[in-house]
Amino acid sequence: MDWLEQELKSALARKEPSPGFSARVSTAARRPRIVAWPRWMAAAAAVILIAGGAAGYRQYQGMVAKEKVMLAMRIASGKLNRIQEQVMQVSR
Amino acid sequence: MIAALRVEQTGCEFDELVREHQSMVFSLACHFLHDREAAEEVGQEVFMSLHRNLATIQSPAHAAFWLKKVAVQRSIDEARRRKRRPQVSLEQVAEPASSPAQGDPMLGETLRRLIATLPEAPRAVVILRYQEDLDPSEIAGILSMPVGTVKSHLQRSLTLLREKLIRRGVGEA
Repeated sequence: MDWLEQELKSALARKEPSPGFSARVSTAARRPRIVAWPRWMAAAAAVILIAGGAAGYRQYQGMVAKEKVMLAMRIASGKLNRIQEQVMQVSR
Repeated sequence: MIAALRVEQTGCEFDELVREHQSMVFSLACHFLHDREAAEEVGQEVFMSLHRNLATIQSPAHAAFWLKKVAVQRSIDEARRRKRRPQVSLEQVAEPASSPAQGDPMLGETLRRLIATLPEAPRAVVILRYQEDLDPSEIAGILSMPVGTVKSHLQRSLTLLREKLIRRGVGEA
């Protein structure tokens, strides 16, 4: 073994972790495991939520448009009724 | 009951394994990452993984082999995640002021920094060879690579380190 190998052995000698490392590891190992959702499951849930939200929003927009059309038809119908009455008065 | 059965089957008790191998696991990660804090995190992950896989451990020797393998793998993963290599470039390595004696702490630190600049595979080979005093066939088993590749990584790394040190006026030609 030459000087460099001797120096490498010395430079790479084992080191101790900070005090309490083994206690921390043992405590963490005894802690009940929280099963994390797999990433694909979280992504799927997000897609479903977004798709559901988008569908709900589209339905709401449809309802609003329907109400506007109904209102426009009521206004148009009222005006037509008034015009019809005026035409009838003139023709008498 | 289950824990007792595992101890009976494998001769391994988790706390005992942690106490016995903490220095080895921590040092592998520390020399690989050149960062004590990151090495403790990696060490903790390695032992947590051992705890989950304790049923697959067949003997104390198997536990030691398994820990070395997983410690190196996790260190490589952590190094990739943190992209630490560019942070310690050869230009940043301090030059020793004078020709040092063997075991010089300054030369030691220079060597550790130079090792941290080696690519992943040669770095793991050098650390396993000189920290754990393993022979090339044992290193080949841990790193799942041919013995010839281990020997060539070792040879090239030693040549590179020697050149870098001599260029800095340290050591013998």
